[in-house]
Amino acid sequence: MHDIWLVIALGGVLTYLTRVGGHLIVARIGQIPPRAAAALDAVPAAVLTAIVGPVLVSGDWPERIAILACLFLSLRLPLIVTVVIGTAGVAFARAAGF
Amino acid sequence: MPDSRRSERAAALRAVAPVLLAIMPFGIVYGAIAVGSGLTILQAMGFSVSVFAGASQLAAIQILGAGGPVWSALLTIVALNFRHVLYSASMGRHLGRFSAVEKAAAFYVLVDPVFGAAEVRASERPLTKSFYFTYGAIIYTGWQIASLIGAVFGSLIEDPKAFGLDFVLPVYFLALVMTFRKRGQFYPVALTSLLVSMLVYLTLGPPWHVSIGGLAGIAVGAMVGGSGEAAEETTGHA
Repeated sequence: MHDIWLVIALGGVLTYLTRVGGHLIVARIGQIPPRAAAALDAVPAAVLTAIVGPVLVSGDWPERIAILACLFLSLRLPLIVTVVIGTAGVAFARAAGF
Repeated sequence: MPDSRRSERAAALRAVAPVLLAIMPFGIVYGAIAVGSGLTILQAMGFSVSVFAGASQLAAIQILGAGGPVWSALLTIVALNFRHVLYSASMGRHLGRFSAVEKAAAFYVLVDPVFGAAEVRASERPLTKSFYFTYGAIIYTGWQIASLIGAVFGSLIEDPKAFGLDFVLPVYFLALVMTFRKRGQFYPVALTSLLVSMLVYLTLGPPWHVSIGGLAGIAVGAMVGGSGEAAEETTGHA
């Protein structure tokens, strides 16, 4: 682990570049064409869904059922309540041996 | 206008509270794993302070712990954090009230929940510095504290999975994404991302499912929403 500080420093710089890079590219191009604006508007739904999606294929049955249940809960309940119910449900299912 | 500043700050506090609950366990788990892999407490904290992105911090530590070279750890960090380029391109449109230095600081704390909360806020009203930096500072500080707690006391949590802690983030992102369902192209975009990310997860494997699944959904958003009324609506707050 002797290179760890090098990775900490360069990893921080590279990560910051990803966080500022998209804005710099758009600022350089200037006016955003309608199609690009529609693409940017789709970013949150697209990326956040891509983070969650694999739970349906990677998890066991408690996770799959819980994520589907939380999908419906999130239509009616506040975000925090959905998170607590989903997490507790999975913890109970695991404790019960599923 | 101190009144509006106070109300912006209060709104940020309300929005960030559940998210803290979601990221603190993750940060504690990170700290515990980092120290368990042979990092000093200072190194574990250095990662959280400089990179501030949990999944990539864990992945880099795993690679280095397995004897991988520096470049492969760095490549993994970039791959896992590449989604931030997309966040940044979208978020820049909402930072009209920020100076150059404030923008530079704002992008430093642009992690998933900050992005989600700021996008939701910007879709309702202009994004203020009070809201953004209150939210961002709390997330950043919370992540550092959680990392420290994990690094110091981590060995006490023997099995985070038993408490469902590994499930907190997926559920959180799911609930967050559903808050965007009123946006024009939500369903075609989300369904595309869902299918492609699962497919990539099963074939290429992580972390590519995030970038490729995300790009597929964005492409659909551009194709479906790139003309007519929807486009005018989306450029309206640019």
